[in-house]
Amino acid sequence: MNMQTVKTLWALMRREYWENPGILKWAPVIIAALTLFGIIISLIIGARFDAELAFTLDAIREFANQPIEQRRLFMSGAMFATSAMFFQFLILLVLFYLSGCLYDDRKDRSILFWKSLPVSDRMTVGSKLLTACLLAPALYLAAAVVTQLVILLIATGYGLAAGVNPFTTFWLPSALPRLWLVLGTGLIVQAMWLLPVYAWIMFCSSWAPRVPILIAIAIPLGLSLMQHAWSLASAFRLPDINIGLIMLKRLGSGIVPTNVNMQVDTDSHRADFTDVQFSEELFMNLSTVFGHLLKLEMWIGIGIALVLLAGAVWFRRRATDN
Amino acid sequence: MSLTIRARKLTRHYGRTRALDGIDLDVPAGRIVGLIGPNGAGKTTALKAILGLTSFQGELEVLGLDPSRDRDQLMQDVCFIADVAVLPRWARVWQVIEMTERLHPRFSRERCMYYLKNTKIQHKQKVKTLSKGMVVQLHLALVMAIDAKLLILDEPTLGLDILFRKRFYSNLLNEYFDEQRTILITTHQVEEVEHILTDLMFIKDGQLILNSTMDDVHERYVEVMARPDRVDEARQLGPLHERVLFGRHIFLFDRTELESLNELGEIHRPSVADLFVALMGDEYDNGLAGEEAA
Repeated sequence: MNMQTVKTLWALMRREYWENPGILKWAPVIIAALTLFGIIISLIIGARFDAELAFTLDAIREFANQPIEQRRLFMSGAMFATSAMFFQFLILLVLFYLSGCLYDDRKDRSILFWKSLPVSDRMTVGSKLLTACLLAPALYLAAAVVTQLVILLIATGYGLAAGVNPFTTFWLPSALPRLWLVLGTGLIVQAMWLLPVYAWIMFCSSWAPRVPILIAIAIPLGLSLMQHAWSLASAFRLPDINIGLIMLKRLGSGIVPTNVNMQVDTDSHRADFTDVQFSEELFMNLSTVFGHLLKLEMWIGIGIALVLLAGAVWFRRRATDN
Repeated sequence: MSLTIRARKLTRHYGRTRALDGIDLDVPAGRIVGLIGPNGAGKTTALKAILGLTSFQGELEVLGLDPSRDRDQLMQDVCFIADVAVLPRWARVWQVIEMTERLHPRFSRERCMYYLKNTKIQHKQKVKTLSKGMVVQLHLALVMAIDAKLLILDEPTLGLDILFRKRFYSNLLNEYFDEQRTILITTHQVEEVEHILTDLMFIKDGQLILNSTMDDVHERYVEVMARPDRVDEARQLGPLHERVLFGRHIFLFDRTELESLNELGEIHRPSVADLFVALMGDEYDNGLAGEEAA
């Protein structure tokens, strides 16, 4: 990939940012604002019950005396949970973004303007995919990071009031650099995991005569219903390879980046949660993230995605204003 | 001589209708070509084929490239306004300019600013808040700021007031056009372009019924305003068209002896509009009448 390609892709991704400020700019800002608003409101309400903040400050001192593992689990868990909200909205809104990305300019005819520029259709489709897989996660992660920092600043104020060292009590146990690294790589791996879903929606967006999101849902839903109907009618049982379930699992297991790593004894064929060690390793483990890359399903999904993307480019190539 | 556009048996079918029916075309560099035809004659299809926006049968080369295969490369040297008002409505003016600058290697911001200087367009305005005419002004400024070898304009001045239309064509001729460039224009406002065209093409039902230089057109076609007593005589010479203006009969002839026509009445050069009506024939007149009746 040469410099010119990178420049063009970057220019095209800026275009996406300008075109979709609701999804790419305002949504993360609003989620951050609501999260902080909720925290500040609960602190204000808390202060009304705890007039001199005596209990609150006492609890902070108590917390500061906890062993480091406990503090790490609590702080990094709280920081991780704060970011979860951002990433759930991210997936939902990215699906909407993708459903319109190859459709909106066909509808308002501005595709004729875009096609008058010396940009290949592969580049156009690629820029939209990169926006969904890299730019949007990066922007949402940035908003989550700012939110985490503001929360820690508020905690620092309380810590100073309680007379504890805010750095060792709150900042260090949060393990922010590691958390950000895990979240960042987790988001990329998640995008790879969801690539067939993304590619399917882009494919529908590239040819749908109207409402691409409904078409993108209706086709797999219809296929799955037909499979169930056939299976029930012919053998009176649910299908062995259940297309509907496979697709739902793909979407469902991608909602949280870096799925919590339950160390369940798989040999006994029953879920035994008594062995689970609760530590921040559960959700902050790079090997869990990269473990997804070793799964066969991951690469089957990426293969399907590449075929669908080629289809999207093919339709984009032939798309004009009618 | 290198040709800007070369087409042989260019054909495009939509179901059973033939939008393009075997067109042969040679457009050398340094020409301003007017492609004139009634609605649905195949003008837009021809432009789309040249721009690689539609599939076709037959041979077609634009600047030595196959538009259906080498579209991305071709767009470096070809600019088009396929229709008016297709700029992205969500964008602000400065964003459209910046995107064009970043995506088109031959775009000059200074030239674009120069063309926008005399307009009321504000850089912070969104395209959707611009009037129809202002969108066209912006689009034309963008396109004229690109150093392209072929400029394709499909109805470029639709919805613009006469002052801007005049200025646009004078800019196009004096500041944009040169020996290396080719401009292909389709328009209904034939009167406004006829003095800047070097070549004229009429298209009807997917076929070119006229394809020649303006000089040839002027040499080939004459109009005679016949004296009342010579009307029957003029009719016998087989005119292409006859119309009546203030009670005088006006005949349009193809390459007839000028001397004999002189005796019939006043001779002058037909306007492109009159020639268009004459060559499109009664079918087009009837078509129009039928449309109005319906």
